[in-house]
Amino acid sequence: MEIPSEIRDLCENPTAILSRYRDSGVKVIGYTCSYVPEELMISAGLQPYRATNIRADPSALTPSFICSFASATLENMIRHDDLFSGFVVAHTCDPMWRLYDILKKKTSKPLFLLRVPHNTKNELSLGFFKKELIRFKTFLEENFEVNIDDDAMFNSISLCNESRDLLKSIYMLNSNSKHKVKASDRFHVVLACMWMPKAEFNVKVKGLNFDNGKTLGDVRLHVNGTAIYEFSLIKIVEESGGFIASDDLCTGSRYFWNNVEESDDPISALSHRYLLRTPCPSQSPLEDRLDYINFMVREFQVQGVLTFAKRFCDPILYDSVHIRSMLSKNDIPTMVIEYENPAQEIGRIKSRVEAFIESIGG
Amino acid sequence: MSLPRKRSRILQTTRKIGELIMTYFSKVSDAKSKGKPVAWVTVFTPVELLYALDIYPVAPEHFGALCSARGFIVDYLEEAERCGYSESLCSYSRCSLGYVLSGMNGIMPPPDILITFRNSCDVYVKWWQSLHMHLGTPLFVGETPYVLAPEDLDNYVLDYVVKQLEQLIEMAEERFGLRFDMEKLVEVLKLSDKASELWFETLKLRRFRPCPLGGRDSASDIFPLVVMQGTEEAVSFYEELLREVKGRVGREEGVIEDEKFRLLFDGIWIWHAFDLIKYFEDKGAVFVYEPYSEAWAYRLDASEPLESIARKILSMGLNVDIDIRIERFLENIKEYQIDGAVLFSNRSCKTWSATQLVTADILNKKVNVPYLLFEADMADPRQYSEAQIKNRIDAFIEVLSES
Repeated sequence: MEIPSEIRDLCENPTAILSRYRDSGVKVIGYTCSYVPEELMISAGLQPYRATNIRADPSALTPSFICSFASATLENMIRHDDLFSGFVVAHTCDPMWRLYDILKKKTSKPLFLLRVPHNTKNELSLGFFKKELIRFKTFLEENFEVNIDDDAMFNSISLCNESRDLLKSIYMLNSNSKHKVKASDRFHVVLACMWMPKAEFNVKVKGLNFDNGKTLGDVRLHVNGTAIYEFSLIKIVEESGGFIASDDLCTGSRYFWNNVEESDDPISALSHRYLLRTPCPSQSPLEDRLDYINFMVREFQVQGVLTFAKRFCDPILYDSVHIRSMLSKNDIPTMVIEYENPAQEIGRIKSRVEAFIESIGG
Repeated sequence: MSLPRKRSRILQTTRKIGELIMTYFSKVSDAKSKGKPVAWVTVFTPVELLYALDIYPVAPEHFGALCSARGFIVDYLEEAERCGYSESLCSYSRCSLGYVLSGMNGIMPPPDILITFRNSCDVYVKWWQSLHMHLGTPLFVGETPYVLAPEDLDNYVLDYVVKQLEQLIEMAEERFGLRFDMEKLVEVLKLSDKASELWFETLKLRRFRPCPLGGRDSASDIFPLVVMQGTEEAVSFYEELLREVKGRVGREEGVIEDEKFRLLFDGIWIWHAFDLIKYFEDKGAVFVYEPYSEAWAYRLDASEPLESIARKILSMGLNVDIDIRIERFLENIKEYQIDGAVLFSNRSCKTWSATQLVTADILNKKVNVPYLLFEADMADPRQYSEAQIKNRIDAFIEVLSES
C-alpha cells in the first residue's frame, strides 16, 4: 500500500496546512502535546494543530542544553505565530513548562497553560485536572466568543474516538507475530491525524488498506521515546532489518491508545481519559509506564526494545535505566540511543541500530 | 590587567555553618539509630510538617552541594553514569543516585520514606522515582501546580495542595505509627516563620553601602532554611547572624574594602568553584542580591497551618509565573542598586536556566543593566572551564568600569 501523497506531503511540511486553514477562515490553535484534549478545541469550532520541531532549528531563546525538540517546537510556534489564533501548552516536562513562559513573552495571541498533575494515581489529581479542563473550556469560550455545550462535546468526543479507533485498528494489524503494517506508514497516519480536520481524516483513512500481507524486516522491535517526528529514525530501523511492531511514543500509540468514555458528563470523561491514559515518561507512577511497555512487548511479541532518547530529555533518560532493568529480567535486550539531530548523526545512529538488530539475530 | 587582591571578609557567624551541618547530620543519624523515620526530601518540601511528625528530613540536593564543595562528588557521579544515568542529567540527582548505587557509605542515612513536591522542576519526580526503584522505599509525590496568578494561592490550586498535605500526614501516621499533633505543628511553624523573618531582615541590610554580607556568606547561610526550618537551632543561628550584620552596618564595614560594583547573581551557586565569588570580590565587585538566597524563606501564618504551608511550597521561586518573577527581579535591581547581573546558565537546572535569555533581553532593554551569562554545572566539576569563565569575568568587569 502507498500512503496517499496528500498525507505524505503533509508530514513533510505540516505548516502548509496552516495556510489552507487561514485561507478558508478556520481558526487554528497550536498545542504542544497529547495531554491537551483536542475535543475541547473542536467543540469550540477551532482546529487543533499539534506544534512540532519539523523544519526548525532550536530557538536562540533557549540554552543549548534544553531539549532541542521543545526548543525547535517553540521556534516553529513563534515563527508561524501569524497563522495561529491561540496556543495551548501542557505542563508535562520542564522544557514544555518553560516553553510556555517564553511564548508568553513572545506572542500576543491567547495562550493557555494546562497544568497536568504528574501523580496520576492520586484521586485528588483527577479532581484538580477536571477543574483545569473547565478553566480551559472557559478560556476557549471567552477568547473565541463561543459557547461550548454538552452536545458539541459529545460530537467531538465521538469524532475523536472514531479517529483513535481507526488508528488502533491499523496498529493492531501487527499484534501477536503479524508483520503487516510498516512503521513508517503507521507514523504517517498518526501524525496526519494531529493536523487534519478529524472528519476529513476519518473518511480518508477508512478508504486505505494497510494490510500489506508481509513487510520487510525480521526482528520485531518496540520503540520507546517521547515524540518522534523524524522519519529518518524509523527508516534506519527498517533498512537495518528491524520491524517496528509497537511503540510507546507521544507521536505513536500514546496518542490514540485510549478512548474517551461517551458518558453524560463529558468534562469528567475527558479528564479521566487524558489523565489516566497511557502515561508519558514525565508522569508518575513509573510502574504504570513499565506495565504498559511490558504489555506492548508481550502483545506484539517483541524481541528487543530500542529507546530513541532526545538529548537532554530528562524523563526518558531517567526511565531508560529502569526499562532496561525490567526487560533484562525477561531476557528482552534494550538499547538507548541518545541523539540530537538525526540528519547530522545518521552514520552513528545507523551503526548502533544495525549492531543491536544483529545482536538479536537479524 | 590584573587588579591588586583585596581583603574580603566572611562573617564570623557564617564560619559556624560547617559545625552546624555536622551537628545536624549527627542528630539525624542518632534519630535513625533510635528507630525514628528519616525522609529524603527535595528542597522546598514542607519540612515543618515532618518535624511536627518527628520525622527527620535529609535533602539529597544539599548532599550534592556538599559533596561538590568538598571535592568528593566525582566518584558518585561516575557510579551513576556507569549504571546508565546520562551525564546530561541533573548532577545533584546523579550524586545521590551514585551514593545509593555505591552502598550509601556516607553521612546520609538510608531513607524510610521518599517525599517530593514538584515545585522546582519535573526532574524531582523522575529522580525520586529512580530512588524509589533502587531502594524500594515508599514514595510520596506531591503536586504543586504552577502559580499563574496570586488567586491560585486561594482557589482550587491551594485546596489541592492542602489535601495532599493531609494525605502525607495520613501516610506517615499509618506507615510509622505516628500521631500528628496540630499544636506541635503550630509551634514548629512559629519557629520557621521567625527564622524566615530574621533572614529577610538580614538580606535587606545588603541594601546598605558598603554591602555587609556577600555571596560567600549568603551561599552558606541558607543551610538552616533548607532542612532545619522550624527548629530552635535555625532561629538562634539567624539571630546571631542578624546581630553581626547589623554591627557591620553600624560600623559601615563591607564585605570588601573598596566596593566598586554591586552585582546580582542569578542561579544556584557553583559549589565546586566557590572561589569565583572571591575572584569577583578581588576586583571590587560584591554580590548584594540573589533570587536563590531569597527563595528559602517564607512568612508563615500559624493560625492557618496547612494553608500557610501550602502557600509556601506553591510560592517557591521557580513555581510562580514568569511575569511575577521578572517584576520581582526588576524591583530588586532598583532596591539593591545593582550595577550588573551575573546569570549562571546551569546545565543541571534547566527550569532556572531556560528563561535566562529572555531575562537578559529584559535587562538590556528595560533597565540597561550589563550582564554576564556563562554556562557551567553547579556540582559537576568536569563540566567547568575555569580559565574561560575568568576571562569572561575580566571582560565583564571592564564593561562595568566603563559604564
